[in-house]
Amino acid sequence: MPIYETLSDRLTVVLDIGAAYTKFGFSGEYAPRCIIRSEVRCKKTNQVRRIFDFKDEQDLYDLLVDFIHTLYFKYALFSPKDKPIVVVESLLSPTLFRETLAKVLFVHYEISMMLIVPSHLVSLSTLGAETALVLDVGYIEAVAIPVCFGLPVIHAWQALPLGAQAIHNNLRTLLSSENTGINQLPETVIEDIKVRCCFVTKQKRAEQFNLAKPDITFAPEVKYPIGGSDIITISGKVREKVYEILYDEDNDHLSLSTMILDAILKVDMHLRNQLAENILLIGGSVMAPGFKARLKDELHKQLKYERYKKLRIKTFKFHSPPCKENYAAWLGGGIYGATEVLGMKALTREKYFLENRLPDWPNMRDNRTL
Amino acid sequence: MSYIVSPDVVKYACTCGLLKPISCLYFCRYCCELRCGFCVCHEVDSHFCGKCCENLPSSEARLKKNRCGNCYICPCCQQELSTRIGSKGPSNPEDPKSTPKKMYYLSCLYCRWSSRDVGIPDQGAATGGWPERENVHANRLQEVIEGYKAFITAQRQQKEREKKKQRGKFISYTDRTGVTAAALRKRIGLPAEVPNTYYRNRPKPPEVAIAREEVEDFPEDLLTKALNLMEITTIDQRLLQPDLQPTTVDKLFPIHKQLSIKRSLRCRSCEHNVSKPEYNPNSVKFKIQLFAYYHIPEVRIVTVEPLRAGKTAELILKFTNPTQHQTVITFLPLDLTDKGGDGDREVVGETQSLNLPEKQPPSLGGQPSSLLSLSSRQPSITIKPRPIRQATNCSIAIPGSKVILPPRDDAAEYDDSGETHNIQDDTKLVVWRKSNKAFVKLAVTPDDGLELNTEIVAGFTMQHIYTNTIATTVENKEPDRHDHNVRVFLSLGNLVGSE
Amino acid sequence: MSRNSIKILPGALVCEESKLRGDITIGAGTIIHPSATILAEAGPIIIGDCCLIEEQAKIIHRLPFDEQDTEKTPVLIIGAHNVFEVDCHVESPKIGNCNVFESKCFVGNKVTVTNGCTVGAGCKVTEEQILKENVIIFGEKCQMREGLDRPGLQTLQMETLSKVLPNYHHIRKPNKKN
Repeated sequence: MPIYETLSDRLTVVLDIGAAYTKFGFSGEYAPRCIIRSEVRCKKTNQVRRIFDFKDEQDLYDLLVDFIHTLYFKYALFSPKDKPIVVVESLLSPTLFRETLAKVLFVHYEISMMLIVPSHLVSLSTLGAETALVLDVGYIEAVAIPVCFGLPVIHAWQALPLGAQAIHNNLRTLLSSENTGINQLPETVIEDIKVRCCFVTKQKRAEQFNLAKPDITFAPEVKYPIGGSDIITISGKVREKVYEILYDEDNDHLSLSTMILDAILKVDMHLRNQLAENILLIGGSVMAPGFKARLKDELHKQLKYERYKKLRIKTFKFHSPPCKENYAAWLGGGIYGATEVLGMKALTREKYFLENRLPDWPNMRDNRTL
Repeated sequence: MSYIVSPDVVKYACTCGLLKPISCLYFCRYCCELRCGFCVCHEVDSHFCGKCCENLPSSEARLKKNRCGNCYICPCCQQELSTRIGSKGPSNPEDPKSTPKKMYYLSCLYCRWSSRDVGIPDQGAATGGWPERENVHANRLQEVIEGYKAFITAQRQQKEREKKKQRGKFISYTDRTGVTAAALRKRIGLPAEVPNTYYRNRPKPPEVAIAREEVEDFPEDLLTKALNLMEITTIDQRLLQPDLQPTTVDKLFPIHKQLSIKRSLRCRSCEHNVSKPEYNPNSVKFKIQLFAYYHIPEVRIVTVEPLRAGKTAELILKFTNPTQHQTVITFLPLDLTDKGGDGDREVVGETQSLNLPEKQPPSLGGQPSSLLSLSSRQPSITIKPRPIRQATNCSIAIPGSKVILPPRDDAAEYDDSGETHNIQDDTKLVVWRKSNKAFVKLAVTPDDGLELNTEIVAGFTMQHIYTNTIATTVENKEPDRHDHNVRVFLSLGNLVGSE
Repeated sequence: MSRNSIKILPGALVCEESKLRGDITIGAGTIIHPSATILAEAGPIIIGDCCLIEEQAKIIHRLPFDEQDTEKTPVLIIGAHNVFEVDCHVESPKIGNCNVFESKCFVGNKVTVTNGCTVGAGCKVTEEQILKENVIIFGEKCQMREGLDRPGLQTLQMETLSKVLPNYHHIRKPNKKN
């Protein structure tokens, strides 16, 4: 570590609270210090509760107080008081959540300033790029937002509830048809089955799934022990089919691939090719084996349809960020936090208490200058 | 001790409005108020390693990324690894004099993982020397970070220059969109080339990453090869090493143990510590420990008659005076609207605007954070207490007379010579007493019309005389005595049916 | 369960306070602590050489519930160098060599244990399966992993025990010749 960093007292926490996992670390570092589940143990009932399962604002406030306490005193190991923080969040983050988070940080933890950066935009900084189409496949939803010249094109955003949660539910359904007692399994076990056994299959094989007599042999089955008292069988069919939910078109003919293309469609004509040749995939779900190869095939398949022919896109190019995809947004926040942007654009405590609100892009008051 | 951690049947209302058992509460002697973990300010006191108990100064801890240099945890099950000796044959087998060389390896006693499992060579020294892994993207990331830093600095300097020129042409944008001037310029179609020093001296932006058409191929193996679950890491094992996230067990490497901290707690209103541990990690003692348990009379439920709706039952409570001073307990009806009796405290809430304390330096707004942290500690903001949510469904007949509790005398515990006190008790109220304890009989009546098995909660305000021993001035030798009110909630059990 | 026939080979150290029922053969060098329980209900038990069976350990040879009516009398063969730690409960129908059953673990009667396996403290394994060689079961959720080699032998501990135990306990005499 360079000497000037040790001398200055500057330690900026970068926080990315996801629906399933929270990424937490310091600005200027290459990887988060920890990636932990966004959940806290309730002191009264001694049960683990997800932060996003909050009941009301008061409940969320208490959950966040407990959660941020763990982050600071178990992982960061320094007092949050009078220190700055960078928060990475999606542009579609619920207002209640971000305002409560700001309240917890400013009122309860008395941080000095807070810089909120949009996850899609900052992810690009890991590439040094200014224009790309960013698809974030998270836990609850997948969100595609094109970023052009460092400016998120918000009107082109696409979101579908295609994330880890949908995959987990699908896996539960598929497993239930072959095994008993799946519904009692906690989600962590389902997640573990997904991570260790399942993969995104190839397009040609996926087309066979829907035929009456599939002309393929499925991948070998896996015996998965649950504790010491049970073993469930995960058939090859289940292993291959779980992720299909991301690529199967729903009733509105929407899927992950159409999201990307629809987002491109909504952008100015001469930027389209540039976006198609700069696709950045982030979020934990894109790390599944075979995900990218399949997405590329699906995109090409969609291009043949009338709806997207007018795009006249020939190639799709994908970026590989210098990190694991599940913390790409965090890393972007870390790069921003390392610069002087923090002092220039962060919301200070004084300003927060003066106005008693958080600037937000849908608010015209904050967008007046645009 | 089991009483303290047992189900909390007696709860005290903290000043912040949360209900907690007395073992979880603090008592700030300076404000004479109850405090709890929620309403005090937590601070990191000292860093130490939980395995080797070594104390680290905070700067060193920061340098080591909050991890111990010598201790490792198992990447497989997260338990601590121990160093084991495995002897290796003599370095020169022909020479009978050469002794077997001692070699060290790391081993987990819990899941039997060892550093040999992943092919880490044994080390000649017991401590350290284990290979450290670098982030593979370190160079690229360093370049990107430096690039952005230079870019933003240049932008800021330019902004300052513009300000000096008083042109005010520079448009500022919101934090949310993160728009840079350059981006907007491109967007609205202005030429990027501006006759301006900033753009001429513009720092070189980091090299843009190139997107590629080819992506990771589909791993064909998955379709044919049987999966060995034992070779694939779980998600917890992966996330333990965020930068590597190994997918197979042969890439699990030992992880430096995360440091632990000792925390001190500070009262938010008066900035005094309510709890401060000793520095030495081996010590479990405190330098300052203002636990409520040592200052507030403790209430315990001794017996309660079966509770029936609308019927009066007898409740016996035990009061213990933990202090060295005599106190008098008065029973008052529970008042949930009362905020603890001090009206002049600064309160903060959603509706009220905040008044920050006056002492702050005025020019904080635009200062970079480094300057801010150098300035002295800022006074805390007081949070508005919450209304108490606990409802009571049982009335307590508030006795008119008071209970005197003598001071605690540790020697009295061993004194068998009988009671020496001559306190004139209201015999209807005080059933029995010994040294600093008194057993008090109260009449409770659960509300009419309650369902069977409803949990009965009763509450009252306990007023006790608190003797403050902090001498405020030298002349004032007389300890300060005043009344202190605590709201106490008793969970008396469930309602039973009629006889 | 009427007849007790305990055969102890020379070199074995069997404390008198141990509870042995049924037809049991104990190999040379095996140490059985006081208050260890070995019940041969379904058929004879043959314990190999140099096994260590600690206090409160239970080795029960019992047929699975669905096979109890049959007339079979299978033999439970326990290999050499197995360690049964304090308060483990093993009902396995077959046990190979060099296995470690840690404290308070439970191994059901459908689990066949091969060689070099470790069943971690507190782990409860009941589902019908054959544990592969060098498998380690550990943790609350009975995670499994494959070890590089067999767990180390408890030679030092056994040497100490063979010196100390006779000083404080009555030892059963070996009643069989090699």
